[in-house]
Amino acid sequence: MTTLDQPTARSTTSGRPAKAGRHSIERAQGRMGAAFVSLYTLFLLAFGVLPMLYAIYLAFTKKGAFVGVDNFLKVFRDYRFWPAVEHVGIFLVVWLVMLVVLVVLLSLLVHSIGIRWLSTGTRFLFYIPGALAGASSVMLWLFVLDPTVSPVGFMLRAFGSTSLVDAVQVDRLPFVLAVIAFWTGAGGWIVVMYGALNNIPKDVIEAARVDGARPIRIAWSIQIPLMRKWIAYMVIMSFAAGTQLFVEPRVLSQASRGVVGQDYSLNQLAFLYAFKQSDFNGSAAISLMLLVVALVLSVYFVFKGGLFERV
Amino acid sequence: MDGAVGRMTPGRWLGRAFAILILIVFVLFFIVPLVWLVLAPTKTDRQLLLEMPFAFGSFETLAANWTTLVTFQKGLIWTWIGNSAFYCLAALAITLIISIPAGYAMALTEFRGRRTLLAATLIVMLVPSTALVLPIFLELSAVKLIGNPLAAILPFSFFPFGVYLTYIYFSTAISRDLLDAARVDGANEFQVFTKIAMPLATPVIALVGFFNFTGNWNNYFLPYVTLPGRKSPVQVGLAELLSNVPAFNPTNAASTTISLSSLALGTLLAIAPVLIVFLFAQRYLVSGMTAGGIKG
Amino acid sequence: MNLLRTTVALSAIFVAGAAFAQDATGITVWADANRQPAVEAFIAAHPEVPVNLVVDDGSSGASGTFQTKISLADQAGEGWPDVVFSTQNNDAAWATKETNGVQPFAQVLNEGFLGDDFLKGFTPGALDPVTVDGKVYGLRNDLAPVLFWYNKTLLDGFGYTAPTTWEEYQALGDKLAADHPGYFLGGIGDAFEGPYIYYWSGQAPIFQLEGDTFKSNTTDPKAVKVSNLIDHMVANKSLTLDSVFGASFVATAANLVAIPGPAWYAGALFQNPGGVNAKAGDWVAAPPLYWEDGEKVTGNVGGGVWYASSHTTNPEAVKTFLQFIVSDPKVAGTGGLPAYQAAADAWLDGQAASGFYAGDFKAAINTAASSVWNGWGYPNFSPETSWAKIITPGLVAGKTMTDLSSDWQQEMKNEAQVVGYTVE
Repeated sequence: MTTLDQPTARSTTSGRPAKAGRHSIERAQGRMGAAFVSLYTLFLLAFGVLPMLYAIYLAFTKKGAFVGVDNFLKVFRDYRFWPAVEHVGIFLVVWLVMLVVLVVLLSLLVHSIGIRWLSTGTRFLFYIPGALAGASSVMLWLFVLDPTVSPVGFMLRAFGSTSLVDAVQVDRLPFVLAVIAFWTGAGGWIVVMYGALNNIPKDVIEAARVDGARPIRIAWSIQIPLMRKWIAYMVIMSFAAGTQLFVEPRVLSQASRGVVGQDYSLNQLAFLYAFKQSDFNGSAAISLMLLVVALVLSVYFVFKGGLFERV
Repeated sequence: MDGAVGRMTPGRWLGRAFAILILIVFVLFFIVPLVWLVLAPTKTDRQLLLEMPFAFGSFETLAANWTTLVTFQKGLIWTWIGNSAFYCLAALAITLIISIPAGYAMALTEFRGRRTLLAATLIVMLVPSTALVLPIFLELSAVKLIGNPLAAILPFSFFPFGVYLTYIYFSTAISRDLLDAARVDGANEFQVFTKIAMPLATPVIALVGFFNFTGNWNNYFLPYVTLPGRKSPVQVGLAELLSNVPAFNPTNAASTTISLSSLALGTLLAIAPVLIVFLFAQRYLVSGMTAGGIKG
Repeated sequence: MNLLRTTVALSAIFVAGAAFAQDATGITVWADANRQPAVEAFIAAHPEVPVNLVVDDGSSGASGTFQTKISLADQAGEGWPDVVFSTQNNDAAWATKETNGVQPFAQVLNEGFLGDDFLKGFTPGALDPVTVDGKVYGLRNDLAPVLFWYNKTLLDGFGYTAPTTWEEYQALGDKLAADHPGYFLGGIGDAFEGPYIYYWSGQAPIFQLEGDTFKSNTTDPKAVKVSNLIDHMVANKSLTLDSVFGASFVATAANLVAIPGPAWYAGALFQNPGGVNAKAGDWVAAPPLYWEDGEKVTGNVGGGVWYASSHTTNPEAVKTFLQFIVSDPKVAGTGGLPAYQAAADAWLDGQAASGFYAGDFKAAINTAASSVWNGWGYPNFSPETSWAKIITPGLVAGKTMTDLSSDWQQEMKNEAQVVGYTVE
């Protein structure tokens, strides 16, 4: 559910200076605060920090001995690595463009619906596919993509696909994967963007309208600029999530009997290193690279993105 | 914008019709596959191939597909669903126990390292959970926990987004003055939490619970590597089921075990809990939960 | 929220979890759906051995299911099956090796585990692909030499004679394409057909192993000959791009005139209501096709293998199971030619007696079984993955083997390199 992992735009009042003469209460608070976060801190260390450290250790060692960047060099020289980078790259471009254009468009349109229940209902319909994430959404899309059973078989045939193998050819796959990801995740983002639009003061828009601005102009010069932070947030989150592509190509590979390779994405490659070649060090090297990308994006966004003002 | 009553030039009218058309197309895009999925189990494979995609089959066929599915390897589907329920509910309980107090403490108390913890939470929260799957697998494997239910439950219970939500909620919903007043009345810190904060926390508990449960239920990659075999949750099982469908693995054609329609039914069953949660949470999600309005 | 109540609920869940985590007794068997009836026959014959059958894909298409799931179990330190069936016969390449400190998965089956008398019952050479340094690591389910199947009724009706060479096979394709369009001579839509049926039979040196060196040469004249045959017959549609088990193949099966293929087509394709569903007396199993200028050799498509786990806690049950499954005259071979000699004889006699196949079924099978070309390699990867990745989509997109074969060769070499072979 990364798509809805949204921070708040509202700033609140906190961190006010403590009043003097209340040291004992503050000490009690400190003790209590520390106690309350202790379990969580433990989990943060165990499942956030420690895995990263362990991945770093594995990525730079082999059989326990330090080997420098050998594992990385090995991965770079692997004939499957660069194609996987390319696959993920193309997918990301297709998906992000699709996401930005359509999510912005749809949230503006939904926001312009004046009838309350209709607007809510539409958002809900957009959102409901989010219930099918992971394997189940791919499973459903297998049916949609197989021209023999597909409810939209006529559309597939219009694109020249007469079989599943044809529909998931490597050069079509980025689009297929992007459509699946969009179908599952876009609704959540539309809900988020809708909220962002609601936060735009009504009088700003009213003033523009009185000045004779048309809806398209209002959208372009008022609404979209005010949504920028949220769009950036969506792009960064989606970029980070998109680099992690795993379950979709994996299930498609299974269903297409290998036409979609088992080494299509980077995470699949890391998986093959671990479970097919029994090379945990190589696997850790790939994971670490992916992790670094995600971390850099996330750190940058937390400190520069402007959504988390109180940090 | 519909404030412009009565000034509908042909251009405007066209623009509006176009907007409605786009909305309808996308509503169909999001809903048609789901509708198809709901109808598919009522048909036989032959009907799926030949008949109108949105025709209703029959209840007899539905019952037959149901029987195929639930008798598949002696009701393996129930084992999978049971596993999912066990892992997700256990993780849900632990998540609430650790996140609610942590978010509260970060929002309303001062302690050393608060800002560091908050920053770390935000950073880890934005890292996609899949990025940590192989590192977590390697770690759990080093401590010999792979194959133990804890190998799913513990990572599932680490939910920084939940902590963040709680933190935001308590920062905005409860004023420090209220807590101070309780302290003046002689309540100790723990009582302040249980008597003042907890009664107000229901919305955020629901929210954290919703995101935690749905996210974990749909998680494939982590349990796929940490809980192989019969301990798999239903998402992993679904992919397993796929290899028994002749259409996608023709070498099994000799003895059809699972038909396409049964697979569709399996998919439906696998998402049912999340779908139900979605339907019930509808109000929160679509109106209350819109950006910033985390107060519910 | 009431913390106390949640804690209680939580502990209840844990208790429930502990109860469900217990494994059943008896033996766990992983096999594909085609093996299911045989396993059920065992259950009926040996009620004293509880069997927990887990149906998987049998690693068909070199999906790697077997190896991946064992790797996962190795990590878990539990969850190994007692017996595994794999459609691939190169699993010995990894299952006999220790990985990350975990003992090799495959149990050594000779040297005392199973009696030598029993093992001697296999057709000579049947256990070669699963024998490493004199240790036998698996039992072959069936032998899968490629022979030539044709529909006598159709051929006679058209007034054609059955081909005996690949050249005549191609010529027959031309005649059909010209005079009886829609009728066809086989398929190339699965990953196993191209490499194992066509290239292997043509002695094409595209998948060879010498020591630790992997060799592949798709430009060798023998390989080019096969590529040209495929291109020619795909172009005139006498070869279909559908999977032989797929819905569209089955739908057009009445137009199938002939098909080169392994012995297990007998049960899995012809005598299968979900497959060709042949009428008794229509089909002939003929000796394999040869190239006019080549040796009289043929290809081989798998012939699955049963492995026992070295982790099993129930070796006696495993022995009982293995002996039954490979040698019981009723189920051994699971629709193909049993690798166990006595069972093979019984199966061949039964087929001959039933008269389902016209012609001399037994002689054709025996000829094929004794002429499998031995130049094909069994490294720790399969030509099927590269075929599926490069050739299947390529052919569907209208490219030819001639266009694709150098990419294919490169992909195989790359795969070889990744799993540690020297590549020439």
